[in-house]
Amino acid sequence: MASFIDFRNPPGSDRRADSAFRATSEPLWVRRMLIGIVLAFFILFLGLPLVVVFQGALAKGTEHFVAAFRDYDILHSVLMTLTVTLISVPANTLFGIAAAWSITRYRFFGRQALLALIDLPLWVSPVIGGLVYVLLYGRRGYMGPWLQAHDIKIIFALPGMVLATTFVTFPFVARSLIPLMQAQGCEEEEAALTLGAGGFQILRRITLPKIKWGLFYGVILCNARAMGEFGAVSVVSAKISGKTNTMPLEIERLYGDLLFADAFAVASALSLLALVTLILKTLAEWKNRRQFEAGQRALLEPTIEGATN
Amino acid sequence: MSIEITSLTKNFGAFPAVKDVSLHIKTGEMVAFLGPSGSGKTTLLRIIAGLEFANHGEIFFDGENVTMKSANERKAGFVFQSYALFNHMTIFENIAFGLRVARRSKRLTNEKIRERVLSLLETIQLSGLENRFPVQLSGGQRQRVAFARALAVEPRVLLLDEPFGALDAKVRRELRAWLTEFHNKTHLTSLFVTHDQDEAFDVADRVVIIDKGTIQQIGTPEEVRSGGGNAFVRDFLAIDI
Ligand SMILES: Nc1ncnc2c1ncn2[C@@H]1O[C@H](COP(=O)(O)OP(=O)(O)O)[C@@H](O)[C@H]1O
Ligand SMILES: [Mg+2]
Repeated sequence: MASFIDFRNPPGSDRRADSAFRATSEPLWVRRMLIGIVLAFFILFLGLPLVVVFQGALAKGTEHFVAAFRDYDILHSVLMTLTVTLISVPANTLFGIAAAWSITRYRFFGRQALLALIDLPLWVSPVIGGLVYVLLYGRRGYMGPWLQAHDIKIIFALPGMVLATTFVTFPFVARSLIPLMQAQGCEEEEAALTLGAGGFQILRRITLPKIKWGLFYGVILCNARAMGEFGAVSVVSAKISGKTNTMPLEIERLYGDLLFADAFAVASALSLLALVTLILKTLAEWKNRRQFEAGQRALLEPTIEGATN
Repeated sequence: MSIEITSLTKNFGAFPAVKDVSLHIKTGEMVAFLGPSGSGKTTLLRIIAGLEFANHGEIFFDGENVTMKSANERKAGFVFQSYALFNHMTIFENIAFGLRVARRSKRLTNEKIRERVLSLLETIQLSGLENRFPVQLSGGQRQRVAFARALAVEPRVLLLDEPFGALDAKVRRELRAWLTEFHNKTHLTSLFVTHDQDEAFDVADRVVIIDKGTIQQIGTPEEVRSGGGNAFVRDFLAIDI
């Protein structure tokens, strides 16, 4: 049973996972112990910190919590985070769609390299991502003199922070679209083409509806990472509160200044955002899997359906 | 519409899928491409539709050179082996698609589109199913929707890739008879790919036998069956002489 390859239940679908469960038959106590360890780990490293964040935020009462968000510097950090996110997420969404489209639809020189390079930001430390931009656009960087001559400030300013965030969140949209578009194939697009549709019409009427949940998943993941980014941004930001601090940087500043309740208040806002993202992500995953399976079914079914016609 | 193909060659990397194929198809003809699996039939059909581009050779539709034209300019009606219906659209919208994406100056009004779609649904005997989605139809029904979708834009040629390949024997026979009848009525130039010789001989005016990317024989079913072909054809058709 377990070795039987069931094409109608691709990896990630529930039925296949169920049969994998049944295939393993460790003694009961082993299973209980393993599940226990996982749960303990989960509570210790994920559950408790989350509780502590909200507890810390409300330590001085709700009034203090609300007051924290009236503070100019804190409000400004929220604004900075929103600004950076609002630029880098759409940019990466456009890039992600274009990259997934090219990689799954065309065969071209450098395709494999592009596929590998998309993942690069996941492999290197975000700090390196930030440093690269300092090296390129910093005062003593390659482009430094030219930028200074034209009075353009990138490093220690908003453009640098947007660049660094875009670098770190680069892979998410493309990565969530590529497997989906590979599974769906491009026959529907080809059919649309023979019916006289142009490239943009195909994108809008065929491709986007087919990938919308995968795209949504990628975008909110990208968004969550963009809002939470610390390492890369901290390298290229001047870290001036009220000027170039994003929320994560502001949390660090408040914490360093021993303003714990304020630090936790901002942290809780970010955490809340993460929780909302998690809920949306779960929803998207569920919808996306159905879309993925529908795509697979459409590719496989004619040969199966025939017998039951 | 007549189709002229001159010394068409298509390589996938170093692999020649279609080799030096020349062919003339007359207006109103129904031609079958018959050959074993992997012989290049689908590739040839896709090149004619503009979904694939040849390395050498030219294609003419009614004398007009379309070699460099894209699929959406050629607008050959193409029915895919796996139907390729738009799964997120209703049957109605599937069939209406080609009409909706037409250039504004040529686009029909919504009423006209509705009229055409409903009449096509009647032609394919699926009236009343316009609000269903493709997954809710059987294989034979989907096949007919794919057919109607291709016909909706009134193509000058119909290209069918193993149109009955995925269906069971009974539905296959019914659809085959239906296609013959449709062709007798409309005389729409049609090319279809098959690996089933009965199907080819039954439906087509002329049969093109293909192996390893080259044409082995062209002729009417009678000519081909009479055994005049080369060793491959005799072997493939199991003709004993
Ligand atoms: N996109 C492609 N890339 C590489 N090889 C291909 C591609 N499409 C078809 N081929 C190869 O070309 C040959 C002919 O394929 P095809 O035209 O589909 O044959 P048929 O339809 O007669 O079964 C096969 O060997 C197939 O593997
Ligand atoms: Mg084929």
